[in-house]
Amino acid sequence: MSIVELRNVTYQYPFSERPALEGIDLRIDEGEFVAVIGPNGAGKSSLCYTVSGFIPHFFKGELQGSVVVGGVETRQSTLAECVRRAGLAFQNPFNQISGAKYTVFEEIAFGLENLGVPREEMRARVERMLERAGIADLAGRSPYALSGGQQQRVALASILVMEPQVLVLDEPTSQMDPIGTREVFGMIKELAGRGLTVLMVEHKVEWVAAFADRVVALDGGHVIAQGRPEEVLTDPLLAERNFGLSRYTLAARAALQAGLWPAGRRLPVTLEEAVEGFKAAAA
Amino acid sequence: MTDIRVKDLHHVYPGGVAALQGISLEIRSGEQVGIVGQNGAGKTTLVKHFNGLLQPTRGEVWVDELDTRKVSVAKLAARVGYVFQNPDEQLFCKTVGEEVAFGPRNLGFAPEKAEALCKEALELTEIGDRAGANPYDLSPTWRKMVALASILSMDTPVVIFDEPTTGQDPASVARIARVVAALRAKGKTVITITHDIDFCAENFARVIALSQGRVLLDGPAAEVLGQAETLAQTYVEPPQLTRLGQRLGLKRTILTQEDLLAELGKKQ
Amino acid sequence: MPEKLSFYIQRSSAFHSLNPLTKLGLVFAFIVIAYTSPFYWTATVIFGLGVLPLAFVGRVQREFLLAALRLLVPVTGFIFIMQSLFLPGGERELFHFWVFRVTVESVAQAYLTVSRIFVMISAFILFLLTTHPSALMTDLTRRGLPGTFAYVIISTLQIIPQMQSKAQTIIAAQRSRGMETGGSLANRVRALVPLVGPLVFGSLVEVEERAIAIEARGFTSRLKKTSLYEIADTRLDRGLRWFLLGLVVLSVAARVLAG
Repeated sequence: MSIVELRNVTYQYPFSERPALEGIDLRIDEGEFVAVIGPNGAGKSSLCYTVSGFIPHFFKGELQGSVVVGGVETRQSTLAECVRRAGLAFQNPFNQISGAKYTVFEEIAFGLENLGVPREEMRARVERMLERAGIADLAGRSPYALSGGQQQRVALASILVMEPQVLVLDEPTSQMDPIGTREVFGMIKELAGRGLTVLMVEHKVEWVAAFADRVVALDGGHVIAQGRPEEVLTDPLLAERNFGLSRYTLAARAALQAGLWPAGRRLPVTLEEAVEGFKAAAA
Repeated sequence: MTDIRVKDLHHVYPGGVAALQGISLEIRSGEQVGIVGQNGAGKTTLVKHFNGLLQPTRGEVWVDELDTRKVSVAKLAARVGYVFQNPDEQLFCKTVGEEVAFGPRNLGFAPEKAEALCKEALELTEIGDRAGANPYDLSPTWRKMVALASILSMDTPVVIFDEPTTGQDPASVARIARVVAALRAKGKTVITITHDIDFCAENFARVIALSQGRVLLDGPAAEVLGQAETLAQTYVEPPQLTRLGQRLGLKRTILTQEDLLAELGKKQ
Repeated sequence: MPEKLSFYIQRSSAFHSLNPLTKLGLVFAFIVIAYTSPFYWTATVIFGLGVLPLAFVGRVQREFLLAALRLLVPVTGFIFIMQSLFLPGGERELFHFWVFRVTVESVAQAYLTVSRIFVMISAFILFLLTTHPSALMTDLTRRGLPGTFAYVIISTLQIIPQMQSKAQTIIAAQRSRGMETGGSLANRVRALVPLVGPLVFGSLVEVEERAIAIEARGFTSRLKKTSLYEIADTRLDRGLRWFLLGLVVLSVAARVLAG
């Protein structure tokens, strides 16, 4: 049963010359972890804004087609209702700090205050969230005094604590250290396993390949490929269009030409697949 | 020829955070150095000492014969160029061309020399056709290139990049790698802070891993990036191909695709 | 970025635990009485027997005295000297030099002005040291202040240190490009454009993204908001506020009667 359904969606920002999204059809099932890849300017952020309702409620311009999230047409509801169903965290963590709060604990509670969550429950939910996001030790610090990577964890926790049905993330780990990125991907994957639906824009192909259920490749406002990570991330079309591929895929492709990768075997996208393939080639 | 020498460097921020706790190292002219480490390890604090933006709380930093405690940032700017993480915190001119010319003018270069340097910087960053554009009409990806060009045009012997690949798409990361390669070919010293460990492995011969204000590892990339357990202390893991090489039981530490193919070819 | 964005000092004391509105009321009562009371020594008494002891009750005496020393003493000292020298009139001359003539009357008037300013500013310092801005806004919102208004106040309080830190980053970036910022006035003026450009553009981007971030946290939700902190409002608070109102009325009445 799909929780997000975009049908023939086209959107153009005011004063821009061409549509940011054109004829997008996309269905996402409940509990699915979908990663969106594509070059800058492909329409990735616009897709995030569309699913979370900022298009058309915040950004003007014309939205054509139908966007249904949680059974409701986004156009028919208010922005506040849209973001309750589909929460959004984006790249720049500094600008996501509310500016109304003095500690990380208060910052994460801000969304719950706005939703009218009773005080006892609010405290419990914030505490659980701090633990889960690995930032319990930051609870009493000012959100402004943190590093970019720490702020990104706070921004993510501030949305997750509101318990949306769909989590929309636009490059949420861009400033995190490598193992921090892996931890956050792991946390999101676990939440998806419990029924949270995730739509995530991400350049880090290695983690997309290892964690996402499905990959959507955007270019020039169009979906040019979608499917299982191992299908999409080895699609020759992507390499032609300068999409980033994982080092495993690139190395195996070069190895294939040098006769070091088994002919006819699908190119790998994850470490495990690469290890198996190269071992098979050596055997 | 420009060497950077750091002796027992300590830095404590007002408020008491000890960001650097005794760092000693030397970066020789023409070296390509990647600096890695977890959020808050002290990477930016360290490099801000290289052009005098920060002053040591204890210890000293020398750029050749210049003691950074005694020379102004503006003077050090002729030796050490510094590309900040966020281009929006430095771009202010109406056109890309003017923006790139700002640094050379500050350094007092002759007009012909300045013009030649600007042209070269624009070409290196692949924005030669956009010189007349307003930087703020460009996408963030291209604004980053303008910021890069505005430092490269100063023709400093040392160039520092702070997280150059953050938020950049693969095409842009490849472009930045080409810039680094061009600087290497010209014999410049390049020092880069990065979380992108694959980018680090492919472009920098020497890697310094910082952890909690101290040097955790420092040496040739192949030596440093292979040590998974030590790197994990500072939330870094080896590059994709290094991990692959280790899982395949290869003896040499693999950094690039060429390394991998050569090593596998030898085995067969 | 500094860790602290407010003057608030977290300690547990009887004064801290008063309701924010009571403390705000106390500040205003002190100020109104200091300015309206017909008695010459009122402001001095309010400071000596009101503000100062309360700083000890609130256990912030050290920070209070430091702030007073740094901020108040220079300001009031300057005003005291200027008024003593320049207030016209007065019969009893204390001394004179060059073109100045200092009289008992001018010194007395200068002292009155300064004692009132002292009460006003020191009472506010005490208030800021012992009241968390969020607590004040939460309390006022509960009493009917619109949420948007409270948000604007709080975020404005935080914006100044943010802008400062941003400006420092921009200046650092431009100095790295060889820009001279120190020395002559011409240098400083030249350094202005490369600072203001990125600051303004950055703010424009920031405003849009921050608006998106606030919306994403349900800020415009029509549900009834709750708050993380419970702000106590005891019978003592209510009693105190009525008492203060009474004092203010008495003081104003005394002024009117005294003419």
